[in-house]
Amino acid sequence: MSQTTQAALSPYRALDLTSEIGSLSTMLLAGLGVDVIRVEPPGGHPSRKRGPMLREDQDSSLYWAQMNAGKRSVTLDLADEADRERLRTLSETADFLFESDAPGAMAARGIGHRDLRERAPQLIYVSITPFGQTGPKSMWAASDLIGHVSGGLSSLVGDPDRAPLRPSVEQAYNITALNAGSAALIALHARHLTGRGQHVDVSMQAAMANTLGNARLYYEMDGIVTERAGGARAFADRATRIIYSCADGYVAFVRIPASMKALHRWMTAEGAHPRFDAEKWAGISIAGNNLPSDDEVAELESEIEEFFAARGAQSLYESGQHHGVMICPVNTMQDIVDSPQLAARGFFDKVVDPELGSLTVPGAPLKMSATPWRTRPAPTLTQHQNEILTAAATDIRDGD
Amino acid sequence: MTSNDVPGAHVFDGVRIADFAWVGVGPNATMQMAFHGAEVIRVESSHRPDTFRNGGPRPPGVNDLDASAYFAKFNRGKRSVAINLAHPRGAEVAKRLVASADVVTESFAPGFMHRIGLSYEEVRKIKPDVIMCSMSMEGQTGPHAKFRGFGLTLQATAGITGVTGWPDRSPVGTGVAYTDWVATHLGIIGILSALDHRRRTGEGQYIDLSQFEASTLVLDAGVIDAANTGRVARPLGNRDLRHAPHGVYPCADDHTGGDRWVAIAVTNDDQWRRLALLLDRQDWLESDELCDAAGRLAAQDALDAGISRWTRTQTVGEVEQILQAVGIPAHRASNVRDAHEDPQLAHRNHWWTSDHPVIGEMSYESPAWRLSDTPPPMPRRSPLLGEDSEYVYRKLCGYSEEEFQQLIVEGVVE
Repeated sequence: MSQTTQAALSPYRALDLTSEIGSLSTMLLAGLGVDVIRVEPPGGHPSRKRGPMLREDQDSSLYWAQMNAGKRSVTLDLADEADRERLRTLSETADFLFESDAPGAMAARGIGHRDLRERAPQLIYVSITPFGQTGPKSMWAASDLIGHVSGGLSSLVGDPDRAPLRPSVEQAYNITALNAGSAALIALHARHLTGRGQHVDVSMQAAMANTLGNARLYYEMDGIVTERAGGARAFADRATRIIYSCADGYVAFVRIPASMKALHRWMTAEGAHPRFDAEKWAGISIAGNNLPSDDEVAELESEIEEFFAARGAQSLYESGQHHGVMICPVNTMQDIVDSPQLAARGFFDKVVDPELGSLTVPGAPLKMSATPWRTRPAPTLTQHQNEILTAAATDIRDGD
Repeated sequence: MTSNDVPGAHVFDGVRIADFAWVGVGPNATMQMAFHGAEVIRVESSHRPDTFRNGGPRPPGVNDLDASAYFAKFNRGKRSVAINLAHPRGAEVAKRLVASADVVTESFAPGFMHRIGLSYEEVRKIKPDVIMCSMSMEGQTGPHAKFRGFGLTLQATAGITGVTGWPDRSPVGTGVAYTDWVATHLGIIGILSALDHRRRTGEGQYIDLSQFEASTLVLDAGVIDAANTGRVARPLGNRDLRHAPHGVYPCADDHTGGDRWVAIAVTNDDQWRRLALLLDRQDWLESDELCDAAGRLAAQDALDAGISRWTRTQTVGEVEQILQAVGIPAHRASNVRDAHEDPQLAHRNHWWTSDHPVIGEMSYESPAWRLSDTPPPMPRRSPLLGEDSEYVYRKLCGYSEEEFQQLIVEGVVE
């Protein structure tokens, strides 16, 4: 197979002015070859001080290392007109600008989409905000938690006797950033047709509203407001259990028809003498008509509980899957690091970070046969200051 | 063009996707491209229908394969061709379709496409510059390549379930097929990057997307932390490692039914002072310990109790209004009704209405992005199973009317 050495998006440049809400979108583009320039305020981007830290000191952020991998860095004081002018000059050399300020804040400083459009007609200007550029909530104060709950997902997450939950990593930010990445590339293809960049308005609330599965559809069609069901999947007004304890943690297993005969064979092979009727359960859907009684379900689950409780999560995963049962371990971050599957696929990579030294880092999140993924460290503050500003001052870009 | 096409910007005009993927991830990815003008052809079979064609909700009493709104949600703007890939001549038809395609997508268990003669190596013999994207659970290679799962269970493998829950209880996960919403975007980004590369070089390629690997992207620094320090992130309920108070608090009944909760996130010291003032908590204002995040993090139990005492006397709407008026991040924990009726989502025209001969009129999600210059038209409704078979067999695969009829008789078109 012919291999070019160019990454898929190597001709392009992006300016990244985002907070944590956008960091992942540009990190992904950097891995795909885009020259991403992190534009930082004097003193550095706030997420340089964000934990977890590699060492005791507060200048060893692994968050920064992960979320800004492969980017270059330049410091500009956007309160200062001379630096704003440097940004405008830089924007003439760029294909994308990502920002996440409050609607109107960039324009108020003369660096909004309309301000740059004349000088940089090729620029795809991606604005990432909690609620979008206009509308009744567009100026609401927000955070990852606010974005998460505003789309509706928290109502499906958590134990019924406690508050609705968010995942303890910033999913609303990261899902939004992924949407911004997709949108930016759609706008890039649009530019191939029109010859011009445009304004891309990405909403965190909308991104999260798109994660509701079929729950909102059940409301619209049947008036059912699905509620959170703990470690179960709330399916309209019925919940099907997902999470089970095991000897050293937890596993995820759903009693879908396709798994039930295999489960019976597996338990038998392990000497567990299953009592449930595999034929019967293989004909029972988790939703719809002819659902089993709560007692029948409880009896089945207690049998499964007993079987899982005597075994470890990774061993249940290996042996269950080999018997054709759709079971998964509830992996910790360490389990992911230790995953034999990721090891076999060479997922982890090494980089030498100028400040943190040698680091083990997650590598390509997708394998492309002709265009390599770029695994590179995050930039130190002002690392590329001179090369970026000098080049921008002299570079007359010939467009796309 | 069909009657419910409306004018709009077709960014991917001329791009054809032969979509062998099914269920959530693949169809969701190709739908975003269909919205923006790609011709996406779902390869389907009534013999082995997409799981979501049997899903719900569906109109009461209607049990055929065209009645699922869940399927419709993921397949608007596409065409559907019926090809029985288990039939010996099914692969022949599929190969003709692939020859006319720019992109081939699939999400079968690894090995299936190879067995029916449609591995990337075979496909590129037919269409040398094709972009093929496989989107399986754990990738095409490795000891777990054939392990099975779906979004509800894969999020456990991918580490999301384990960090979603209360510290004193078992983790719960997100209750939805969460990894679907992550892997979808890696699919889109991979395919659009490959199309861009092909545009410049003429070179196609194969994309091996592991939903597991893709989903680890959203774990922030969790994986890099464990890999380099051995620390393991744990679920924190609704708390945050940097900010306090930070939680979801109970509210008074607002007569909409169900329990009502509001999220409040104090992310800086100014917001904290404003909150203390609003709640008339002189003791909080005067406390030296509480003036910074470290002190507030240490006092979270007491702060949460104090905030809850107040929120219990207010409706979710009142808390939003009072706190947002002074710039404190707050929002109701929206349930699906709130999301459906949300005034901000309505302002963005987020829920797109689609009329379907079996399902009727329903609204479905639109992209989270809005493009200023090339907004897409309203997409065509989702296709009935095999609705476009004649078009695909005759126009794209080049079969004559007689050959098409013969393939129907032989059971290839089903």
